[in-house]
Amino acid sequence: MKRIIPALILLALLVAFPWGAEIFYSGFYVSLLTRIFIFAIIVVGFDLLAGYTGMVSYGHALFFGTGAYLTGMLLKNWTPWFWPPIVITLLASGVVAYIIGYLSIRTRHIYFVFLTFAFAQFFFVTANSWNFIGASNGLSAIPKPFILPGLNLSGENSFYYFSLASLFIGYLLARRITCSAFGKIMIGVRENEERTLFLGYNTKKVILRVFIISGIYGGFAGALMAAFNSFVSPSLYHPAVSGEIIIMALLGGMGTLVGPIIGSGLVIILGDILSSWLAESWMMILGAAFALVILFSPGGMMALGRKINNLIKRG
Amino acid sequence: MDVSLLLTNLLYGITIGSALILIASGLSLTFGVMGVLNFAHGGLCMLGAYFGYTLVQISGNFWLAMILAPLIVAFIGFLMESFTIRPLYGLNPLYQLLLTVGLAMIIANTVLLVWGGDQLSIILPDYFKGYVTFLGIFYPRFRLFVLFFSATVAIILWITIRRSKWGIVIRAGMHDLETVNAFGINIFRVFSIVFSIGAGLAALAGVIIGSMRVLNPEMDFELLTSALLVVVIGGMGSFRGAVVGSLLLGITEAFGAQFFTGAAKFSVWALMVIVLLFRPEGLLKED
Repeated sequence: MKRIIPALILLALLVAFPWGAEIFYSGFYVSLLTRIFIFAIIVVGFDLLAGYTGMVSYGHALFFGTGAYLTGMLLKNWTPWFWPPIVITLLASGVVAYIIGYLSIRTRHIYFVFLTFAFAQFFFVTANSWNFIGASNGLSAIPKPFILPGLNLSGENSFYYFSLASLFIGYLLARRITCSAFGKIMIGVRENEERTLFLGYNTKKVILRVFIISGIYGGFAGALMAAFNSFVSPSLYHPAVSGEIIIMALLGGMGTLVGPIIGSGLVIILGDILSSWLAESWMMILGAAFALVILFSPGGMMALGRKINNLIKRG
Repeated sequence: MDVSLLLTNLLYGITIGSALILIASGLSLTFGVMGVLNFAHGGLCMLGAYFGYTLVQISGNFWLAMILAPLIVAFIGFLMESFTIRPLYGLNPLYQLLLTVGLAMIIANTVLLVWGGDQLSIILPDYFKGYVTFLGIFYPRFRLFVLFFSATVAIILWITIRRSKWGIVIRAGMHDLETVNAFGINIFRVFSIVFSIGAGLAALAGVIIGSMRVLNPEMDFELLTSALLVVVIGGMGSFRGAVVGSLLLGITEAFGAQFFTGAAKFSVWALMVIVLLFRPEGLLKED
């Protein structure tokens, strides 16, 4: 119960946040937070795979981009409604994750990292050269989707609430998964796969399942991103995006679910401040910060996450 | 499809493949000996290409670039290994890998800051321009040079690994580091040397490939991807695997470009998927 009250206060603050826009702060911060929520969804999904199951993927951008392209194409050419593209995107992300997962989970650790990287590069190259989806120009002028008759996500606030609700549901689902018996097996795989296997669990199946769930989170975040930006570019598939996802999870603390959400916030806010001074090269600072964290507190990243969590707990 | 076209493609594939050997062997050796998969390897390659470009711009001498750029990058590799990767030995290898991801980002953005985002090309000496005719085909002179040069470097590397004392240490290191250490060999020095040589070879390949194509700040991930695919296909930590994988990849890419225009790049991934399905550990396992 101690943890629920501060969490509820935080949630209430987030719900109230847009009301203060244009009075206390610029409406820009509403869209900044929206971006954080969208990224947090994919990073929570990533955390299920990397933090809980111990399979670090350096290709998560592929789900992000695939979700974004699919939803973008469907919204542009088929329907003004958001739900059918979302359902199709979720299913398609699951299928893509199944295929890539099936091929990559034959390997572990470092091999897994670079296999996922190689597959993501495949999508990056495809998106850059396939004219049907705009090649290197990407998709532009994606219409703002309707979620209810008469309610379309055109305003900043409506999108803010939609992403906040999505993140909230996504987080609760992830929590439900990690607290379940299946979640315990996931942690078992991370800690000692062999032993978990000997206990009679099909660890490959477990990893594949988590990979699919994680991919669906990514695809959903991509779908939101496409509608939010009204624009999809091949750069969503860039390895830098996959790197950013890892950094967000690591900075916040992997295997905590809350950490990655905080990490997303940290990285996006940091990126926003730095990129106003340094334009594109803020990624250099991010890379350096990342390297320094690993160098000087390699085990301490989780600890950092825990410290932040403690701060939140104290409220 | 006539024979000369077939031959041109084959030759081009082998040319690309032989240049790839230089990148992939460094990546593979570093992994084999140190257990570090260096995601900054493509970045080192790109650094080599850009240093080469600047050196040619300043001095006008292509050979100076071919010698100095790899030396500079080998030194950068030495610094990288000593100051960033070394403190992480003994920890989960994922940390080293993630560190190199950070380093790759730093390198990529440094290149963008210093040289800008435009395409650049390295000016070749006159004797490398034009074509050579033989066996009824026209082949660019520089590509022929690349083929012979890379093949020579690869053979020297092969002989070094197979025959020299250092090669024995490196091969032993792949099997059992602790025993090597117990024999009184300073494995940290071995690590430094392997990493620096890998970086230097990557830079050399960067200069060559940069001269054959163009330089852009995206080339690091392109080259890294090719090198990783080579390593997946050939088998990790094996020099022979790197050679076989590189040649296979180069030839697949060249013929892919011929048969499925526009889908050249994908033939390479198709190859990887096939290898993964049937031989997940790569065509050749460790030596």
